[in-house]
Amino acid sequence: MDLGPRPGGPRDAWTRRVLALAMLTAIGFVGLLVQLWYLQALEGGHLQEMSEKNRIRLRPVAAPRGILFDRHGHPLVDNRPAFTLSLIPREMEDRDTVLARLSVLLKIPLTELRESLDRVPADSFRPVRVRRGLSLAEVTQVEERKLELPGVIVEVEPQRVYPTSAFAAHLLGYVREVSEEQMKQGRYRRGDMIGQSGLERLLDEYLRGRDGGERIEVDALGRPVQVMKRDEPDPGGQVITSIDRRIQEAAERAMTGHAGAVVVMDPRNGDVLAMTSSPAFALDRLTGNLGREDWRRLVSDPMTPLMNRALQGQYAPGSVFKVVVAAAGLQEGSLTPMDRTYCTGQFHLGAWTFKDWKEGGHGHVDLRSALVHSCNIFFYQAGLKVGPEAIVRYARAFGLGATPGTDLGSEKPGLIPFVDWKRRRGGRAWQAGDTVNISIGQGPVLVTPMQVARMMGAVANGGILWKPRLVQRVEESDGALAYSTSSKMRGHVDLSPVVWAFLRSALVGVVNEGGTGGAARLPGVLIAGKTGTAQSIAKSDSARGQDHAWFASYAPAQDPQVVVVVLVERGGKGGQVAAPIARQIYQAIFLEKVAMVALGGES
Amino acid sequence: MLRVDRRLLQNVDWALLATALFIVALSVLSMWNLAPGRGGTALAWRQLSWVGIGLVALLVVASVDYRSLVRVAPAFYVLGVSLLVVVFVLGRTVSGARRWIHLGPITFQPSELFKLIFVLTLAWALASRAGEPLVRGTVMGTLALLGVPFLLVVRQPDLGTALVLIPVVAAVLVGVGVRLRVLGAFALAGLAALPLGWLALKPYQRDRLLVYLDPFRDPLGTAYNVIQAKIAIGSGQLLGKGVSGATQSRLAFLPERHTDFIFAVFAEMWGFIGCLVLIVAYGLLVLRGFEIAASTRDPRGRVLALGVTAVLAAQILINLGMVTGLLPVVGIPLPLMSYGGSSMVASLMGLGLLLSIRMRQFR
Repeated sequence: MDLGPRPGGPRDAWTRRVLALAMLTAIGFVGLLVQLWYLQALEGGHLQEMSEKNRIRLRPVAAPRGILFDRHGHPLVDNRPAFTLSLIPREMEDRDTVLARLSVLLKIPLTELRESLDRVPADSFRPVRVRRGLSLAEVTQVEERKLELPGVIVEVEPQRVYPTSAFAAHLLGYVREVSEEQMKQGRYRRGDMIGQSGLERLLDEYLRGRDGGERIEVDALGRPVQVMKRDEPDPGGQVITSIDRRIQEAAERAMTGHAGAVVVMDPRNGDVLAMTSSPAFALDRLTGNLGREDWRRLVSDPMTPLMNRALQGQYAPGSVFKVVVAAAGLQEGSLTPMDRTYCTGQFHLGAWTFKDWKEGGHGHVDLRSALVHSCNIFFYQAGLKVGPEAIVRYARAFGLGATPGTDLGSEKPGLIPFVDWKRRRGGRAWQAGDTVNISIGQGPVLVTPMQVARMMGAVANGGILWKPRLVQRVEESDGALAYSTSSKMRGHVDLSPVVWAFLRSALVGVVNEGGTGGAARLPGVLIAGKTGTAQSIAKSDSARGQDHAWFASYAPAQDPQVVVVVLVERGGKGGQVAAPIARQIYQAIFLEKVAMVALGGES
Repeated sequence: MLRVDRRLLQNVDWALLATALFIVALSVLSMWNLAPGRGGTALAWRQLSWVGIGLVALLVVASVDYRSLVRVAPAFYVLGVSLLVVVFVLGRTVSGARRWIHLGPITFQPSELFKLIFVLTLAWALASRAGEPLVRGTVMGTLALLGVPFLLVVRQPDLGTALVLIPVVAAVLVGVGVRLRVLGAFALAGLAALPLGWLALKPYQRDRLLVYLDPFRDPLGTAYNVIQAKIAIGSGQLLGKGVSGATQSRLAFLPERHTDFIFAVFAEMWGFIGCLVLIVAYGLLVLRGFEIAASTRDPRGRVLALGVTAVLAAQILINLGMVTGLLPVVGIPLPLMSYGGSSMVASLMGLGLLLSIRMRQFR
């Protein structure tokens, strides 16, 4: 190569510098040839041997998923080692025979095995997990026939275990292998276990940890001979939730046999102490190997066990909504505690007749006794006085009609109508009858149990609407703080202190002065609350057409520490069905106080 | 401009063209050898059609006066940067990085084309004041101009392309006479800025970059490739195993075997002798490029030729270094060998630029 001076031109500085760069590059090429000589001539024989045997395998070592704890440090889930059946496509020389044997041995449908292999290249050395959670007997069967099953291995991986099968199912959420759809996000590897719902999904990034890997040497039959190098996995972070395990358990126990939801919240800071939805689903089965058929059954179950009713269930609030109407009326001056009416059990508006739930009516009632005894007739009239605009405005101020913001996703906003809503949707203008309906929480009003809990929290704490907090903090496996949250105020309901005092006194009356919530009364703890009985939409279906029962409450009334909201789907009357459930939960929360009163014989 | 006069034709650098065609032929052959009869044939045909498109592009580029290309470099620059931005908006994510744009059935990787635009921009910025002494402001301005697309490429993240651009800028700056002391200062400043960039990344992006830098963080991915590539190359020994004996390659131990790791396949099949031939061919190509740069009088031609040569040399050396285990694994194709349209077309267009400069030297 002639890089020297061209005829007629001196070798200038540019040429010299380019020449230097060319030399540098040439040195690089020579270096490469030296390395190639080393690899191919000197190491060649050895590497040739390795290529013949190709004895190195790389196996993933799954990271243990982070643990979720309750607010006192009690674990809500744990991990235990579980056996996973995996196939190494490259080592399965006679694929059909091996799969057929395996299918018979473990009773796994052959098509399922084939499908999991079809998704990966046939010459891959990466193990493909085909079934998790093998029993010890199954493992023994596979190990005994190891020689007939080339390419079939059993790996040990950490798997979630739960205190009970369905404990806090909706809150925690289930963990399952990444789906084809999720693979497309490019963040996961095939076979990764990721949180699919609830906190497991919300905090998946923290909980997942990082998988390690093992470089192992295997013999001609693919059996491991020795581990050459092992990169330890990084375990996932630990999550400290705001949940109180004891209260969560009590809430679930109390809801046994009912469909519905319970939310327990601390009105002082918005911490969610318990959240349950029933019927629940079996977390352990969803996390383990749930067959396709079982999955389909779960998804198509008419009782929708996968739905989190606390956040996604939208129900008419029924008489619980009277608290909003009373607050709006008192604050705006359209109602006073002195307002009285005589309740005959019937209310006429034009050609329409609205009835009270109590045959024959309540007789003389004022605002307080109308709340205590949940008199509809009084509130029909009150609603007309307050007017739909004010009712709707206060409902929104109490956080109804908007998602409460738990971050869990798929929260429903419920429905608080705009007064011109009917015109837009149904083509009919808002009428006085609509106002009468929403005054008792019927008609076009829908709320979720979490919204009602926030609303009762605001009554208990003097107007603060908290963002419900489920997670206090996340710590990495080495104890470093990865994430933390503090209580956040989302809104404030501005009512004068007199109005708050009146509402609270009336709510104490509901439970303790012969009102509709008497069944929640608990000696030793002063409970304040409001019952609600909401017509379900499927009125025509007689078997399923029973009313939804509400009980929204807080305690102790003098110094509120917890809000308990109970909703029983098609349970009947709030006072008869929901209030006793709330009482059970309060009993667990205030165990010591209740026990002391019982021992002292005082009521 | 397209009117080719005879003097131009007389000065076509046939040696350069022949060397390039030789390497390209080896590429198509290797594609076919990977899996004769199975996917390999289709792969070879597709690669061949990319070669065809690339050669047309080469002819077009060579017949245009490179000086007019340098003159409109700002327009190319704007186009290139917008393409890189488009990658973010419309780009397709493949194994965690957004590098590709979908155009009907074709996926297109703008960062490949951008390497050439980068060099054109360099030539425009550094050579437009030919004759005047190089001032610090010009150099700083140039670096600022190149910083924007560089960061865009890093964010894709396409660390491979980014790492190619650094030596290219360094080589061109050395060429135009920036003193080594100044260059060293830039390098130090760059190093100092690294932690700041690190802080700006999200945790999962840091993770990704760390996997790039340290393959053992991803023990089942890249580290496995390196080991298997070494075994493949080494087992080729002196004379190679031939096509049918190349078990490492044919049995698909290398996931990226037709793209970034193609050299391992070639080395297993043809052994040290084959590698020697290929590397000498690459050496001739690159040294010829340097010669063109050295012998050109036009400042724009000089910088452009040096830049294009540096792009080729950097890619070849980094890719081969990575496949032979001398350098950590970053995603860089081997010019003219690796499967992939964007890289093939861009490399041939680069050679077109060199030919163009060569042809117009003697006027």
